[in-house]
Amino acid sequence: MDKKLSEMRYEEEGRIKKIEESLRAQIAGMGIREGKDIKMMTKQPIKGPVVVSVDRSNTSIGLGLADKIIVEVKR
Amino acid sequence: MELTVDRRWDLVDRIAKETVEVGVYRPSLKDALADVTVRPATGIPVAIAVIYGFWMFFCEFAGTLFTDGFFVKIFDGHWLPWLQEVFPFGLGNWFYELMVDAGHMENGVLVASDNCFEAFGVLTSGLFIAIGVVLPAIIAFYLILGLLEDMGYLPRLAVLVDTVLHKIGLHGYAIVPTFLSLGCNVPGVSATRSLETRKQRFMMITLLGVFIPCGAQIGMMQDLIPAQIGWVFLTLLVGYLGVGWILNKVWPGGESPEILMDVPPYQMPTWGNIGRKLWIRVSGFFKVAVPFVLLGCVIVGILYLTGAMDHIANALEPLLTNVFGVPSDTVAPLVAGFLRKDLAVGMLEPIEMTTFQLFTSVVLLCIYFPCLATFALMIKELNWKEILGCLATLVVVVFIFGGILHGIGTIGGWY
Amino acid sequence: MNKILLMGQPNVGKSVLFNRLAGARAIESNYPGTTVDYTKGHLMLDGKSVEIIDVPGTFSLDPKDRAEEVAVKMLEGEKDAVVVCVIDASKVERGLYLTLEVIEKGYPVIVALNMWDVAKGGNIKINAPRLEQILGVPVVPTVATRGEGLRELVVRIREAEPVEIEEILNSVGGNRSGTYS
Ligand SMILES: Nc1nc2c(ncn2[C@@H]2O[C@H](COP(=O)(O)OP(=O)(O)O)[C@@H](O)[C@H]2O)c(=O)[nH]1
Ligand SMILES: [Mg+2]
Repeated sequence: MDKKLSEMRYEEEGRIKKIEESLRAQIAGMGIREGKDIKMMTKQPIKGPVVVSVDRSNTSIGLGLADKIIVEVKR
Repeated sequence: MELTVDRRWDLVDRIAKETVEVGVYRPSLKDALADVTVRPATGIPVAIAVIYGFWMFFCEFAGTLFTDGFFVKIFDGHWLPWLQEVFPFGLGNWFYELMVDAGHMENGVLVASDNCFEAFGVLTSGLFIAIGVVLPAIIAFYLILGLLEDMGYLPRLAVLVDTVLHKIGLHGYAIVPTFLSLGCNVPGVSATRSLETRKQRFMMITLLGVFIPCGAQIGMMQDLIPAQIGWVFLTLLVGYLGVGWILNKVWPGGESPEILMDVPPYQMPTWGNIGRKLWIRVSGFFKVAVPFVLLGCVIVGILYLTGAMDHIANALEPLLTNVFGVPSDTVAPLVAGFLRKDLAVGMLEPIEMTTFQLFTSVVLLCIYFPCLATFALMIKELNWKEILGCLATLVVVVFIFGGILHGIGTIGGWY
Repeated sequence: MNKILLMGQPNVGKSVLFNRLAGARAIESNYPGTTVDYTKGHLMLDGKSVEIIDVPGTFSLDPKDRAEEVAVKMLEGEKDAVVVCVIDASKVERGLYLTLEVIEKGYPVIVALNMWDVAKGGNIKINAPRLEQILGVPVVPTVATRGEGLRELVVRIREAEPVEIEEILNSVGGNRSGTYS
């Protein structure tokens, strides 16, 4: 099932399917690319940022940016 | 030949496939700690505890242990009496006044001071402020900051405060320049270079310059008004968030970008590195601050001796008393504050005023102008339009805050 | 060679390496964005003193903030510098990306695979000799905080040479379309 990263629940895992063009190059430099496994570590309340884990490194991403990433969620 | 972005990543993948083998990983205590400190339910209480602990250490170590327990005794009990005895010329002479003790009038007689706050000579108050109060404060601050930096706590704090800071057009990473500024505004302003947009940088630099007191200043405040310092911080925090919110609305430059930041793993801090950083920062502070504190003493002393200070005080009296509700004597600290805020706070001590007026003066000293060193760097980092914006913000903030505090004081009957 | 630039992504240990190599005093901290301006120092190499520069961290050569701009300008301004690309061995891929960018620009490069201890602790195995073969530039595992590998790094700086990206494309296996896209 596909989901926006911003909609993923806490501790949910999946594989990155698509990243919007505007974000792709920038976020790739931080190790987050299409085809990578991703895990939701935490979500901050009231539209705060998410923290995800990719290749064992953690990255904090604003919710608006997380909207631009589509993840195929593992069930 | 240069590759396109996608082809370069493609090549990276092929290289990694041949050279990197990722085995199983067992999460350790570090990872558990990383989780606990970044999840809101546990992370926010931890953050509050960390900041509270930071503050308690600062007060206990710098204020109680070193300043009150050691330096006050040395300076007031031995250094001042000794200088009063051996320094030539004596009370009433202009050079003695500048270097050792100006004394004060009691029943029409000039009497000597009995503590280094009131003496106001270069060798007494100047040295006492620099070494007796500010040095322990700076050491305490950078010791803890170094520890937090090296553990890797700051990025977690940034994640936790992002929700709030994003609403005022900054993002969580702004916590780093803010923390650095609490030590000294100069490195704080430099650190804004890692913010993405010009608007963010402008806002951040303005907020730092106006609302964030430096470690030296905090050390002095802690010594002078320990009971009111919480209110000072609260007032400044309200200003930081409120003015940030307004600037975000009125300053052009669009929406603020969202946070996108690496959160590095925790690591064991090493005393070697913490000690080395402490040394770099404290010795840097010493090279710049101590000469400036002493210079500030000399300049203020000369302004007094020549009578210039009285003229400035008379000229500004209507503004200070009518608008801000503080005595016109505070003009001297305000002048000194251009050079050093710590010295300026120290100069408030001998002035006769109510507790609320003292509180107002301390707040005004924080916000009326960044020190010269910070301002010089701001000029370098901002373009002229931004500098004007920053100065305009500053003037408006000073009048609004000064006016509101005056109003509150009047209602409360605290004059 | 007139200058050595230490380049890499934020928080990979450049400042630690710099302090060790130049005996200098740059601030080291565990968060990205510690170094926002460059620091210069000197390193003795074959009896000659060579300038070495701790450049602010940058994710790529396409800058997105002022600190990264400083880094990219620094690189562009030093056309005949040797670049020590510092990679976090526990995050090789992103480090390689920047390294390739620098190689493409024609700079002589040597790679420091720093945080070797972290990679090892995380059970990540990197075949450094093979990586060296593929890239055609020296690759030296280091643990900057403990000084491990730094002697070899210094000795091998003079082996750094510009490499054509085609050579790298030819020496790596795997199919051209890669594993994703
Ligand atoms: N375990 C380990 N930590 C390291 C190593 N090199 C650097 N560090 C730590 O990584 C953090 C970042 O180092 P720094 O030099 O400030 O990184 P820079 O941003 O690249 O300059 C610091 O806390 C260092 O102590 C290493 O080889 N092993
Ligand atoms: Mg650095």
